[in-house]
Amino acid sequence: MTEDRKQSPLMDDRLDDAELERHLLQSWQTPGGIWKALATVDHKTIARRYIVTAFVFLILGGLLAVAMRIQLAQPEARILDPDRYNQIFTMHGSTMMFLFAVPVMEAMAIYLVPLMVGTRNIAFPRLNAFSYWIILAGGLLLWISFALDAAPDVGWFAYVPLSGPEYGSGKRADIWAQMITFTELSALAVAVEIVVTVFKQRAPGMSLDRIPLLVWSMLVMAFIVIMAMPAIMFASSTLILDRLVETQFYNPAAGGDALLWQHVFWFFGHPEVYIIFLPAAGMVSTIVATFSRRAIFGYLPLVMAFIATGILAFGLWVHHMFVVGLPRLGESFFTASSMAIAVPAGIQVFCWLATLWLGRPVFATPLLFVIGFIVTFVIGGLTGVMVASVPFDTQVHDTYFVVAHFHYVLVGGAVFPLLGAIYYWFPKMTGRMMSERLGRWAFGLIFLGFNLTFFPMHILGLLGMPRRVYTYQPDLPWGGLNLFISLSALLLVSGFLVFFIDVLRAWRSGLPAGPNPWKAATLEWATSSPPPAYNFRRIPVVDACDPLWMHPEELAVTAGLRVDRRELIVSSVVEALPEARESSPRDSIWPFWAAIATSIMLIGSIFTPWAVVWGAIPVAVTLIGWFWPKGTAEDAS
Amino acid sequence: MMPGKVLNSNVAQPLVTILFFLLLVGLAALIGLARQPRQYRTDPPVAAALNQLRLMPGGIGGAPPEIYFALDRPYETSAYDLSQGKRLYSWFGCASCHGDGRGGAGPSLLDGWWLYGPSVVAIAASIRDGRPRGMPAFGSRMTTDQIWQLAGYVKTIGAYSASLAAPSRNDDKHTRPAENRAPAAILFNEAPPVPPRSDQGPSP
Repeated sequence: MTEDRKQSPLMDDRLDDAELERHLLQSWQTPGGIWKALATVDHKTIARRYIVTAFVFLILGGLLAVAMRIQLAQPEARILDPDRYNQIFTMHGSTMMFLFAVPVMEAMAIYLVPLMVGTRNIAFPRLNAFSYWIILAGGLLLWISFALDAAPDVGWFAYVPLSGPEYGSGKRADIWAQMITFTELSALAVAVEIVVTVFKQRAPGMSLDRIPLLVWSMLVMAFIVIMAMPAIMFASSTLILDRLVETQFYNPAAGGDALLWQHVFWFFGHPEVYIIFLPAAGMVSTIVATFSRRAIFGYLPLVMAFIATGILAFGLWVHHMFVVGLPRLGESFFTASSMAIAVPAGIQVFCWLATLWLGRPVFATPLLFVIGFIVTFVIGGLTGVMVASVPFDTQVHDTYFVVAHFHYVLVGGAVFPLLGAIYYWFPKMTGRMMSERLGRWAFGLIFLGFNLTFFPMHILGLLGMPRRVYTYQPDLPWGGLNLFISLSALLLVSGFLVFFIDVLRAWRSGLPAGPNPWKAATLEWATSSPPPAYNFRRIPVVDACDPLWMHPEELAVTAGLRVDRRELIVSSVVEALPEARESSPRDSIWPFWAAIATSIMLIGSIFTPWAVVWGAIPVAVTLIGWFWPKGTAEDAS
Repeated sequence: MMPGKVLNSNVAQPLVTILFFLLLVGLAALIGLARQPRQYRTDPPVAAALNQLRLMPGGIGGAPPEIYFALDRPYETSAYDLSQGKRLYSWFGCASCHGDGRGGAGPSLLDGWWLYGPSVVAIAASIRDGRPRGMPAFGSRMTTDQIWQLAGYVKTIGAYSASLAAPSRNDDKHTRPAENRAPAAILFNEAPPVPPRSDQGPSP
């Protein structure tokens, strides 16, 4: 580890602060210019791109929702034809789930996890850059196909045989399946980075029981991704094989099984909900603690609840399939497991309430969003327990009741915390404060608009309105409620408009934030806002759950890292004892080229199987370029 | 230190990227508008016009209505319509006489021999109005749209060359090669074309 060389490298323990910063900047900063920008591996830059991209997809997906609400506002409307409507609801679901919710949660992890565990970059930073270009290509594939009037029209879970070769004509379902391949590839890459960063790059002293709750939730999320994504990878690959090269995975006539699709899809699809929800739970835990001005109540039960949620997430996928005609015992088992997930969810909610109760809450915008989250998520959780029971689910399956339920858990459970998190961490990411006044308006409009839009959908569902219909007849009793919902949706949209206006305004001309505007306790607030390329001048030493509250004046730091190259500390898994100095890769353009080559191969494979063969050659070339030793100082150890 | 300038470039970079993204989508939308839309229900006037089949005397051969060309021959060139036609082929029991295309009680559809001419309008007329010696009329049981979709599909069964647009396979047992592999040509290589039989109808 500590090698004696003739010319010992430049270490940080013999430099003063200004000199140290100069050297660190030289090693870590990405120089200007477009090619350099494409080559950067700085986790903060990449996460910012991820977040902006995800929010662009949120806007696009939201506009599709508006289009659907305009169409459904009155019976027999002729604004969208049925084919376009099918494309639009598929695009809305796929965009929101695969291009917004999952990437944005991962992006928050990419930004925050390295800062919160006190390291200088995420593990495998080039893979991180690669994952961003991949998801961008996947998003472009889906949206350009939509513009080309060739978007998938089979729903976001693309059941066979509707998406299979017999019913899914054209390239639409292939585009859906390959878009999934892009997102799962990028999600798996990020998950691996998060696990390694959390396990091996924590600041010295940050033992497992001192990890911030957000980092715990991201860790559990990453493990869920690693276990769930292979299922969807199998599903999307076999679907495209069925369609492209005449395999028969889902063809009952040739010994395949159409139900197999539902099993593999939901074996991924249900954990997916927790991939989205658990990071949000981590954000809520962080925000609640900061604005209650006390340590979180029940750290250990919360961590256990996260892990329990992560494990239970894999045991209840069949509740999406109650009406396919399962054996009774199977239905009972999955009813029980679906209801059991309410236990860890309940523990989390009670811990957050207890923290608020015992603290002195400051009702700033982030906390408002968290309270909106608790209300909507509990309502969504209650309808969740309802649809977990087979007789009830049989009645409301594929109706607007289900639509209401999953919007309550997904928007309530993930988007509200996410917006709160944006208000909370925006100062860290940009160095600027968002407006408290606009924030309150945004929260009020979104909360009110959301509930007025989605609560009546419960009633519509009980009145029998099926989901995914492009219109309904005037003599059905749904017209009034649908018009009300569509008008409320405008309220919701105006709330988001205020939010985005606030973001742009604050980004351009918000008040300077300073390093720790919320007086929060976790390590990301120990550095400047926005953090420098090297994150921390010196890596902190952690001896508590809330380091900045324990040591408001001065943090203990480590020394002994080289500054003439990118270097960070590798620590032990449980106690975070420093184990080694490890080099961190420099910027590289190769992940970008590798992503382009991979995209060409994947998109080409929609049209001909030979694209996999010939497309593998550029992928191999770019990977060789990626891993070729460059003779930099980082290659040394 | 110029914080204003630095932050502006921070805003500008994502904005330029977003604009670029929207430009790409916009360009694609222009192409998308030019593409043929997939219609689940043909407009009634269009359907009425499509129903005006112009046949030669004796019902052998003819010309499709003008609107068929104005629509750019959708039923022969769109994979969606061909797939719908393939499904209608089984739904309306065509296979009970014509088998998988090789014929049975009815004549073969892929031996290259069309009793009433190979044009799609003749096939549509056969489906709509029926033919002597057993071919029933489906005009009262199918919409005009469906008749054209089925006619388009039946034409591909006996295609001599592969076309870009093809129906995909059904989730059934397969007894013959896929339509987009120019099955007629492949089958001809295995056996000489069936000679015209006088009991099948009038000779050309």
